[in-house]
Amino acid sequence: MDIEEVKERAGPREFSPADDLPEEYRKAATRMIEFHANSEIMGAYLERPFIRQAPSIDRKLAFSAKVQDEIGHGQLLYRAAETLGVKTREEMLDDLANGKGKFLNCFHYPMTEYVETPMVAFFVDGAAMRRQATLRRTSWEPYAHAMDKVCFEEGFHVKHGEDILRTLMNGSRKEQQLTQEAFEEWWPRIIQFFGPTDDKSTHHDFAASVGLKQKSNDELRQAFLDQYVPKARKYGLEIPDYPRIHKNDEGRWVVEEDDLDWDEFFTIAKNEYEPGVGQIDGRKHAQEAVQWVRDTIEADNVPAGGQPPQAAD
Amino acid sequence: MSTGEMLDPEDLDERERTALEHLGKRLGDDEFVLAERYTEWQVRSPSLESDLALSNIAQDELGHARLWYDVLDDVGLDEEELVYERDPDTFRHSTLVEQPFPEGDWADAILRSYLYDIAEKLRLEALEQSSYPKIADRVGKIQGEEEYHLEHAQNWLERLADGEDGTGRLQEALDRLFPHALTLFEPTDPDVEEDIVELGLRTATLPELGEEWLSIVLPFLESLDLDVPESGLADADGYAVTGEMLPAVRGRDGSHTESWDDLFADLTHTYRELERDRPTKIMEQP
Amino acid sequence: MIWEVFRQEENGEYHTHCGNVHAPDREMAKQFAAIQHGRRKPTNSLWVVPKEEVGEIDSDDVTFGGTTDKGYRWTMTYNLQTDQAEEVVESESEQEQADKQRGEA
Repeated sequence: MDIEEVKERAGPREFSPADDLPEEYRKAATRMIEFHANSEIMGAYLERPFIRQAPSIDRKLAFSAKVQDEIGHGQLLYRAAETLGVKTREEMLDDLANGKGKFLNCFHYPMTEYVETPMVAFFVDGAAMRRQATLRRTSWEPYAHAMDKVCFEEGFHVKHGEDILRTLMNGSRKEQQLTQEAFEEWWPRIIQFFGPTDDKSTHHDFAASVGLKQKSNDELRQAFLDQYVPKARKYGLEIPDYPRIHKNDEGRWVVEEDDLDWDEFFTIAKNEYEPGVGQIDGRKHAQEAVQWVRDTIEADNVPAGGQPPQAAD
Repeated sequence: MSTGEMLDPEDLDERERTALEHLGKRLGDDEFVLAERYTEWQVRSPSLESDLALSNIAQDELGHARLWYDVLDDVGLDEEELVYERDPDTFRHSTLVEQPFPEGDWADAILRSYLYDIAEKLRLEALEQSSYPKIADRVGKIQGEEEYHLEHAQNWLERLADGEDGTGRLQEALDRLFPHALTLFEPTDPDVEEDIVELGLRTATLPELGEEWLSIVLPFLESLDLDVPESGLADADGYAVTGEMLPAVRGRDGSHTESWDDLFADLTHTYRELERDRPTKIMEQP
Repeated sequence: MIWEVFRQEENGEYHTHCGNVHAPDREMAKQFAAIQHGRRKPTNSLWVVPKEEVGEIDSDDVTFGGTTDKGYRWTMTYNLQTDQAEEVVESESEQEQADKQRGEA
């Protein structure tokens, strides 16, 4: 299949490993799904300290279950990416460890206090879920199938995040104040979740033309603000003055792009933002520390039937 | 010995309350602290699949802690008193479960799990006929999850012991963990321990459980070509836990290794920082 | 030798188990499956897998989803009484459905 035919046929769940797809499609899809998978892993890495620091047994269970789900989503997504035949999971995980793998801007920032957790667990996850729901209609069938399961599970994450926010904002004045401060720190990053406006986005056009991406950054940002600005206000959070955002006469949100730190955003995109580098290295360290286990079990990796698969032919 | 009669939660005397409290804390604290350590493997396990499995085991154990702690609601103890506002020197868990994992030491995690899960299997059997209804009622639910834990540990042990690297690491972990594992069978307080059995709260004594544990664990570890620490474990009469191998601190009596203080400080950090006075409940029922 | 057969009815859907065939090798298994399992039911694709390579773990071996309360991992546990984004509502209804089926199983 050539790229013109791909563009012509592009529709929800249209292409599967049985199709002979051009390299351009397979590479673009790999880049997109790998980014998504990496983000799951790095999001989990960011939240894991709060399994321990959660202020109750039930919250601890929920954090553990959420981090577990995210690793599970990583597992699904790396598989969906592997089926494109461009990179193996091992290569993708190694790239992530070595600072070559890209992932979501928000997960490059450190998260040190519990009051920050709903910024990721509610707002970032809420944003991610808006996007993921549209990807159930992506053109790469294994990716769409992964999204089915991710979206099935993800409702728990967002509601768990909202529940934490609710508790904090109904807590002591100190809790409310600390939460507001965390919100102010995270808000611009959350807005940047959807990347620059469409006219500045590099990968969108192709990904949209072959059906990988279903909605543009701008459309998703609108949908996010529509849903989550009222939520933030409902819980008593004040939307920071900067970046300036307002609704225009047509009811669409306008974000003053110049109020956002795009230098930082693109530094992050290159994996060169200092705290993010620390997080990448931290995870790399953990991955290397258990290399011996993978080596041990791969040494005698034979299918359960006792015969290598080709014997079946 | 046990009279075979059930205790009435509404009408416990001082001796019964104390025995119940000690037993509940032994059980709950073990599960709670082990789960806490297991979660260290989240996002750090050898593969994504093994990460998911160990996370699940951690959640299971934490859920069991939740069940055991809830039994102590009958003697007026809530989660804040049992965990978040408790003096760390009053925790009754075995020192086996509080040890930090050396980085990347999956052999430690797996071996610890095996040593613990066998002990847990035996003690759950000894609680099936407990004279305290809530304890007896909850055993089945917990056993339903423990079978997987034990098989998981055994499967991994067999695979790790198959390689040179794995065997070496297992041996080191065994040398380090074995004395701590023996504290699983130590009393919180000798008199109260006697009451626990006499009142029928548990139907086996600690030496009986210890002996049975050794009779299962030792042959299995030896079958993996591991050298089991000797020191009077098997004599002419069979297996017995002897005092000489026990570590200086026993956990059960409230004495702990240094790592426990750090762990406790970390896990109560948010609660203290936010000046909470009540841990948040998400699920109403235990 | 026996081959398990999985059928996908339409492009984009899941391959689900639909039966098996006797065949000496993979090529023949595919040809036999196409007739035996694809000649009438709507079929877009079939997979064939040697039966002996299929591992099974069932509810006698393990209690799927556990035996203790795992309410914390279900959306329904979080009773927020606020409007939820449509994708969160959809997730919740899918989870409710799964929970109901688990209860009936």
